[in-house]
Amino acid sequence: MISISSEPIDICKILVDTMDSSAGGIALFVGSVRDHNKDHVVSEIYYEAYKEMAEENLAEIENGARKTWKIKKFLAVHRTGNLKVGDVSVAVAVSAEHRKEAFEACKYAIDEIKVRVPIWKKEVSESGVYWSEGFSLQKSD
Amino acid sequence: MTKEENQELIPSLVVVKLFASCREIVGKDKITLKSTDKMITARDLRRMISELFPSLPTRIQFVIAVNHKIANDSTTISQVDEVAILPPVSGG
Repeated sequence: MISISSEPIDICKILVDTMDSSAGGIALFVGSVRDHNKDHVVSEIYYEAYKEMAEENLAEIENGARKTWKIKKFLAVHRTGNLKVGDVSVAVAVSAEHRKEAFEACKYAIDEIKVRVPIWKKEVSESGVYWSEGFSLQKSD
Repeated sequence: MTKEENQELIPSLVVVKLFASCREIVGKDKITLKSTDKMITARDLRRMISELFPSLPTRIQFVIAVNHKIANDSTTISQVDEVAILPPVSGG
């Protein structure tokens, strides 16, 4: 299950939903809003997404993970809207028979999300409000 | 004049969605570009956007998405396509 959501992310529900009786392990990555970036204090982050394309790209990332590793369940959710320090911005959970597959697939997914999914963040800090520097999207076939 | 010939004279309108910093620089979440060609390429679209909003390409290294896929210069665009310009991404 993948989604872009303006609602708060319930990481406990994601963990439970990723459980599978044939899986021996679950890897869960949770990204949250940090109170600083480099040398300035961050108070909140606004996340914006091109929802339709972002959800298609998340589905492609899930397919990529399933082709490479034998995984049981895959969940990835990314927030949009205004988030405060400590709020969860993204969660990826993968269950697999063994921990190696779960860890590797989870790392692959969050790494890909950061460079392939059309989501942008604007940081509100004491020094001003500005869009984060990011990764230029590349054509994928 | 046949209906087909008549349609060829109607300029095509391409709606372009704008996101994040691109939207803020232009001041709109979508723009409509008019072309006398029924079909244009992503290279043409980039040139048209640069002419209308010269500060955009100098400030943002944007890419063009056509029907949710990243386009290359030769990707063709017609008015039925969903087009967007996307600044570098920063999710996570």
